[in-house]
Amino acid sequence: MAADYVSPFDERVRAAEPLAPRPAGVAGRRVVLLDIRKNRGAEFLDRVEALLTAGGAATARVTKEIFSKPAALGLIDEIASGGGLVVEALAD
Amino acid sequence: MEPAWRADGDGGLGGGPAPELDVHATGTAAVTLPGLTAGGCALLVFVSEHCPTSALALRRLGPLCAAWAHAGLTAIAIFEDPLDVAIRTARRLGWTGQVAAQEPPYPASRAYRLATVPTAVLVGRDGLVAGAVVGWDRRAVAGLLGEAAARLGAGLPVPPEEGPLTKPGCSSKAAIDPDLVAAMSADGGGDDLEEMFERGWTDGLPVIPPTAERVAAMLGGRDGGESLGLVPPAMGEATLARVAACAVLAGCRPAYFPVVAAAARAVLDPAFNLHGQAVTTQPAGQLVVVNGPVREAIGLNSGMGALGPGFRANLTIGRAVRLLVSLTGGAMPGAMDRATLGQMGKLGFCVAEDEEGSPWEPLHVERGFAAGRSVVTVIGSDAPLSISDHRSRTPEDLAYVLAWAAASAWSTNWWPLAEPSVYVICPEHAQMFRAAGWTKQRLREFMFDAVRKPARLLLRGETTPAVHAADPGTLVPKWASPEAIVLLVAGGEAGRYSAVLGPCTGMGSRIVSREVESRGG
Repeated sequence: MAADYVSPFDERVRAAEPLAPRPAGVAGRRVVLLDIRKNRGAEFLDRVEALLTAGGAATARVTKEIFSKPAALGLIDEIASGGGLVVEALAD
Repeated sequence: MEPAWRADGDGGLGGGPAPELDVHATGTAAVTLPGLTAGGCALLVFVSEHCPTSALALRRLGPLCAAWAHAGLTAIAIFEDPLDVAIRTARRLGWTGQVAAQEPPYPASRAYRLATVPTAVLVGRDGLVAGAVVGWDRRAVAGLLGEAAARLGAGLPVPPEEGPLTKPGCSSKAAIDPDLVAAMSADGGGDDLEEMFERGWTDGLPVIPPTAERVAAMLGGRDGGESLGLVPPAMGEATLARVAACAVLAGCRPAYFPVVAAAARAVLDPAFNLHGQAVTTQPAGQLVVVNGPVREAIGLNSGMGALGPGFRANLTIGRAVRLLVSLTGGAMPGAMDRATLGQMGKLGFCVAEDEEGSPWEPLHVERGFAAGRSVVTVIGSDAPLSISDHRSRTPEDLAYVLAWAAASAWSTNWWPLAEPSVYVICPEHAQMFRAAGWTKQRLREFMFDAVRKPARLLLRGETTPAVHAADPGTLVPKWASPEAIVLLVAGGEAGRYSAVLGPCTGMGSRIVSREVESRGG
């Protein structure tokens, strides 16, 4: 019998969430743009927003408290209820 | 396409009923064939941790599991290894399907009469074996998936045509003589220190195996099931038993455990923002400062070599905290720990303050605790920079030298810093301030006032919006406030070397203190 060890890992397995279906296009869709407050992320989102708008999408901007912390649950709810699509600006 | 069905060499199960699975998984619900085939079909992938062909199969098939699940094919990797090994191996190889494990004598593998791992078995909703592939055979796997797709009436992605297209498997442990299996897995049959590396229970250095007996001794009767919270970034739950396992791995004595537990509680305070520190590209480590009577009680060194090697309590307490972050929290370098360079303090960094040699109130008193209490304070910080000054003859000169040493902390031009720079003042330097009657606050304010530059000199390279917005002649301070200068006293009696530890920046991370549990007063 092998030694009985206490694992430092949390062995619970989280079921992988299946990806939502990918949209065929953005025209007529509402897209939430999440600025995580990383340096110059807003510039990236500005460009993306212009492209989305040109493609016929409606956009909404939301902002995290700080890039280094997970988004607040309220913000996640706001994103989930605010549009069918999300774009997140990550880094500088 | 004809599946290459020969799981045991004679095709005994082909087309026949698939045996029920005697395996265990992490959830509370039992793994059953009806459950696995409820969506349409199940793909049972029998594997073993030490088998390279099993690893190949898991890596090639793992990314496809989610799409299969959508179409009604449930994939499960069934390991001939302990469950924790199975989960870790699956995670490491990118397997995204379900995971199950079996212990000796490997009843599921025996029921399926396996000779080889990997073996992939397709089971239909009718509970019959629809086909199988032994070893790695990309074409045969594609054929097996074709059979599943035909049954489901849906397309299923197949592994890419990348070499090796075929690879022989390894012996199933179920196909090895039971006596031999027992000998292979017996205590002392292997090298338990090497096993820790194989399990990934390490920071890269050898560790003490966390046997149930050692962890129980570490817990000292405490409730191992008590939860201290979730450890980011992977949000593993820091049960007291896991914290104790990390303390054992680190080499702690049970007497250190109250300090480790207090430090764990401190780093898990959301105000500390361990999440950001654990995954950042910065070199941030978690500095653990210990104050109070517990220092002497457990042999923490605050004297000669206070920031260096040689003292078990200092080295192992800091290491236990880091193991909690990297193992329970999943922040292993190169995985979720994305530090560009890192620093040796990320192995663990625990400093005890020399309160008796200090001219000032110790850190924990400054932070509102009674002097006689034992307290752990955690600070996100960079590696120490040594500051040599043997020639200053006034407190002003010495304070100036100490202050300017931090001018390059984080960056030469990113001023002002809101986050703390931690100074460890050596006794000889402290003595100069004591003799001159300088309070800690006076020193802090002098240092704050000393380090300033005109904004125009800070405009090269990366600098702050505040510098860009300032008039070129405006003096910009290194720190946003005197409170960003933290002062400790530690070190040997001889030698005029203090040190400064730069900050972890941009995290909104606060210094957090927790009192050390005291048993029986």
